[in-house]
Order: sequence, then C-alpha cells, then structure tokens
Amino acid sequence: MIGPAGIRAALPHRYPMLLVDRILSAGADEIRSVKAVTLNEPWYGRLGAEPAEADFAYPDFLLLESWTQTAGLLATRSDEGSAAGRTMLFGSLRDVQFHRQVFPGDVLEHHVRLQRAVNDTLVLEGVSRAGDRPVLTIGSVTVAFRPQEQLDPEHAARNSAPLTGSRPGDTS
Amino acid sequence: MTIDAVARLDREELRTLLAETIDADVSDVGDDTDFVESLGVDSLMALEVVVVLERKYGIKFAEQEMRTVRTLNSAYDEVLRKLTERP
Amino acid sequence: MTTAVLARPETVREPAHDPGTGKWSARYSVAIGADEPVFAGHYPDFPILPGVCVLECVRTAAEDSVPPEAAGLRLAAVESGRFLAAVHPGDVLDIELVWEARDAGWRCSAKVATGRGPAASARLHYRREAAA
Repeated sequence: MIGPAGIRAALPHRYPMLLVDRILSAGADEIRSVKAVTLNEPWYGRLGAEPAEADFAYPDFLLLESWTQTAGLLATRSDEGSAAGRTMLFGSLRDVQFHRQVFPGDVLEHHVRLQRAVNDTLVLEGVSRAGDRPVLTIGSVTVAFRPQEQLDPEHAARNSAPLTGSRPGDTS
Repeated sequence: MTIDAVARLDREELRTLLAETIDADVSDVGDDTDFVESLGVDSLMALEVVVVLERKYGIKFAEQEMRTVRTLNSAYDEVLRKLTERP
Repeated sequence: MTTAVLARPETVREPAHDPGTGKWSARYSVAIGADEPVFAGHYPDFPILPGVCVLECVRTAAEDSVPPEAAGLRLAAVESGRFLAAVHPGDVLDIELVWEARDAGWRCSAKVATGRGPAASARLHYRREAAA
C-alpha cells in the first residue's frame, strides 16, 4: 500500500490535478488505486446558485485522467532505472467506454494491467469501478518514455502531453 | 490450412481494422502500402497495431515478429500463419 | 455539465450537412488561457494541457454541433485518441469535426491542431441508451 507521500514522490502532478489518493496494491504488471470523489472537488467551485443534479457528475475525462495516473504509477515502477530525466508521454488510447457517471460520495477503484512493454513503449488496459459497478473500461492506453527536451514548445518533433515520470521542470 | 482459419481472417475486414488503428482511410491502405514509409506509422502506432491484432485474432506476437507487420499483405500472411499454427 | 477546462469553443464554421455522404462537419476554436485551473498542477512551473483536457475540448465542441438526428445521445466511448504534440498556455485549439451515423449511434471524428501543427486526433462514439 502506498500513501500520499509515495504518490507525490512518483508523480509530478499537483493540486488540482493529482487524482490518485492511495495505491492499494502494486505488482510488476498490475496495480490498484483509490480516488474518492467529494463535494469539495475544485471543479464544483464554479457551480451557480441552484445547480442541476447532473452538474454534480464528476467530469468524465478526469475519471480517465485518474485511471491514467494510476497507470503512470505502474509504468514508472516498471521503468525504475531509466525514468531519470525522462518523461512519460500519454501517446494514445483505444476503446475507452463510459458506463456510468460518478457523484460526490463515490469512491473510485482503478485497476490497471500492463499488457505489453516494448523498448520505451507500454500498453496498458483496465477498469474503474465505484463500489462494484463498472464506471469506465479501458481497452488500451499507450504511453511512451521520451527524453524531456521533446516537450519544449519550439520542439517540432513528435511529442505529446506528458503524463508522469520525473518532474519535467527539474533541473536536478 | 484449417478452413475456419481462413474464414475467420477476412482480408477486407483486416484492411479496415488496420486503417482504423492507424487513423488512415481504408482507401489509403493498399495491399502493399508500407505503413511506416507511406502512412507515417511510428513505433507507438506499430505496437498498437500488434496489440489490436493479438486481441482480435487471439494470437501472440514475439517482439522480433512485430517488425513483419509492415503492409496489409505481410499482416495477413503473419496472422494467417499464426491462426493455422495453433492446435 | 461540469468540466475541468473553463474555455468554451467559438464557432469557426457552423455545422453543415453534406447530403451526398449524410455527414455533418463543423469547425471550432478553443483559446487555452494561462488561467486554466489545471495548469497549476499539471505541472507546477511546466504548464502543459493534459491530453484528457484536449479530449474534453473536443467533446464540448462536438456537443455544440450535434446533428438533429443525433440529438439526445450520450457519450458512450472514446473509440480512439492520439496525442501528437503538447498544448501550452496561450495556444488556440483548432478543432475540425465530422459526424457520421455508425454502429447504432453516431461517431464524431476530430482533428485538433495548434499554431505549431497537429496536436491530437480522436473518435468519439455517441449512443442512444442512458448511462447503465
């Protein structure tokens, strides 16, 4: 089990985009994490005086981000040695299905499995549940470890939104 | 060659599957169009193609076999070989 | 709908129907300001718009251009998505959308670019039935 300190050490993400609360278990190619959804999420700060019930649904794409950050934690574990000075980039995703919405009070459990690892690229799959009901199923997500300099705006070569790994901004 | 292996592997269905996986139009995926040179498939996409083929046809690619999937013809032959190899 | 991104799409080209193919197409722009809340934590002193937020912008634009026959459908899946280049504060997303009827629902295909070139592509699938 890994708690907040361990998660913050492994992920460069911070408030309001640090969307994993706890790692329940982590093996070489599998990981389970938890993310609680509360009425105090920053996104609800914009709701007007009388929001509709539907406005309390947690943003679908942040469900995916929370799952993907869990995948990032698995990926950085399995890439221990070479993660230094490199960033994990979210490359692509396939067959991500939204089954139901999630509301304050729900506790999400993410399950990520490493499907393939070939040189610097990992393919992962899995599911997110609230209670025992599936919320999200992920056919495949591909992430790649790339040197950090590929992220500079001027860098014309192929790069994409980084996900995790050592802090891109670090000069250490 | 078992009949059902051929039946299960439909060339046009494979062409559509490959085109959708690499975000290309089916019309751009000729029998011998090279994915890397002509369709700009990079290492990330190439791995995705392999994962999609494995899942769709229930087969397994060893790492060194992944490079053989370069055109529709080579993908068809490789998948067919793997389908007919299985007991 | 509560979203992570504050910015809202501006219409660049109104949804137009192609009677020949039955498809609808539209074009939107989304100005990603440095004040987007996600940037504070993604990442501190190295702001990059999360890939999922690019997808959220595509969804918002898609749902501004739903064809009449597709009204009332629910986002059921992201069939595929690909991230090609990072998006930074100050970038303007140029989103080209094409809607077509497919598999008992509608597919919205999107190409996203910034001033520096292609940034992402995605295919969203919308279906009739309510969330399970």
